[in-house]
Amino acid sequence: MRLVVDLNKCQGYAQCAFLAPDVFAMHGEESLVYNPHAPEEQRERLARAVAACPVQAITADGLDGTGEQGTGSAQEAHDAR
Amino acid sequence: MTQASLFRQITDFANRANPYPLYAELRKTPVLHEEEDGPYVISSYWDIEALLHDPRISSDAANLAAAGTDALAQAEETGGLPPSFIRLDPPEHDRLRRIANQGFGPPHRPRRIENMRGELGPIVNGLFDGLADKRQFDLVDEFAYPFPVTVICRLLGVPRDDEPKFRAWVDPLVASLDPDTRENPDADFVKAAQEARMQLGMYLAGLVEERAKEPREDLLSDLVNSEGPDGSMTMMEVLSTAVLLLIAGHETTVNLITNGMLTLLRHPEVLERLRGDPGLSVRIVEELLRYEPPVQIVPQRTCIADIEVRGVTIPKGARIWLMLAAGNRDPERFTDPERFDPDRGDIQHLGFGSGIHSCFGAPLARLETQIALSELARRLENPRLVEDPPPYRPNAVLRGPRHLEIAFDGLR
Repeated sequence: MRLVVDLNKCQGYAQCAFLAPDVFAMHGEESLVYNPHAPEEQRERLARAVAACPVQAITADGLDGTGEQGTGSAQEAHDAR
Repeated sequence: MTQASLFRQITDFANRANPYPLYAELRKTPVLHEEEDGPYVISSYWDIEALLHDPRISSDAANLAAAGTDALAQAEETGGLPPSFIRLDPPEHDRLRRIANQGFGPPHRPRRIENMRGELGPIVNGLFDGLADKRQFDLVDEFAYPFPVTVICRLLGVPRDDEPKFRAWVDPLVASLDPDTRENPDADFVKAAQEARMQLGMYLAGLVEERAKEPREDLLSDLVNSEGPDGSMTMMEVLSTAVLLLIAGHETTVNLITNGMLTLLRHPEVLERLRGDPGLSVRIVEELLRYEPPVQIVPQRTCIADIEVRGVTIPKGARIWLMLAAGNRDPERFTDPERFDPDRGDIQHLGFGSGIHSCFGAPLARLETQIALSELARRLENPRLVEDPPPYRPNAVLRGPRHLEIAFDGLR
């Protein structure tokens, strides 16, 4: 899965780093570090992080690729822009 | 006899079960100021969002006390414990919140909450065990209250068995957050809230002293043993923070779970989908935070400069009420805002506030509520409401049912 964080939108709420700590990490107080090619086993956590972002700064491709649970939010977050 | 002012209707208990028609009225005057000493009431999404990020809006208890009409803020100012970070501005707020976060989340403890996931299931299962022989139960007393209380106790390192003891102190403190009592406090009430805060602080002091000597894997240990660029908290700061987290961990998630199950029982098609797809709980919880947020109002902010909102100048020193739950249903922001729709493409909300005071416990509240609702959907056979609307608590800020009786045919 590929993901992009719009760092102009990101306000450092760190919700993604709580929910998917292997994909997102806070570097210091405000800057976000993330893995743009998240491994498949992170799918569920990534979906939670996308849904929880207060400013919907995270876009993920392929989250709903398998019709699995809790998905679709990434694409829709993208559409909403 | 004239009708009560819109402002007075906010705290009027008659509007508690369904405040949303009133909120629609409020949005017609997005900056409402009806009484000379009263607050400016802000009800539209974008205005609230902007003000939550505006450094000219203060959360400092001292500024609220200076606004003159809030006897409880004055009492809190002179009470024993210093204000916690929810009632402070930068830079003190930032320092205390950063230190508190060292024990709670990233970057220092990125996995503390995620790692609690495995502990939450057994807690929930234990609560279902208590329902095995029943065909009706009160969701509040038998599930939505004991679950987050057990979790916050475990996270902080507070013995769960002491709950009856500290509940006697938590209840008056929560009541003191009710804007109706804040607007019309009597002296006994102010004294009781102050006394409860001291008692709870002293109780926690005993636990904190133990952790200072012998740290454990809990948040109290991290609070008292913190170090780093921000230094450490004083003992009084540790106690204020611990009181804040214990109370916040009690009252808000209870209402999120209860409002959530009430909403699902009113939308049985969504409940049915959740039963087959626990992953849907993520979107359901986000939509609930928009549609039925447990914190409806942020009533404790003051302007520290003249601020113009939609052509109205709010003068320096004035109080502001931010109507989060009204903003969450603002048609300027959301399509079809009065509809509960976890499939909406742009679920955003003010349910956790926004800006520097954005809910500290949000990651934990999300996790608890996702698990609670998906397990209730999975385990309860044919659940149905016994009384709709249910009886509500008096509080207009922390709004939720006092009881929620649910009948069911058995456990799966």
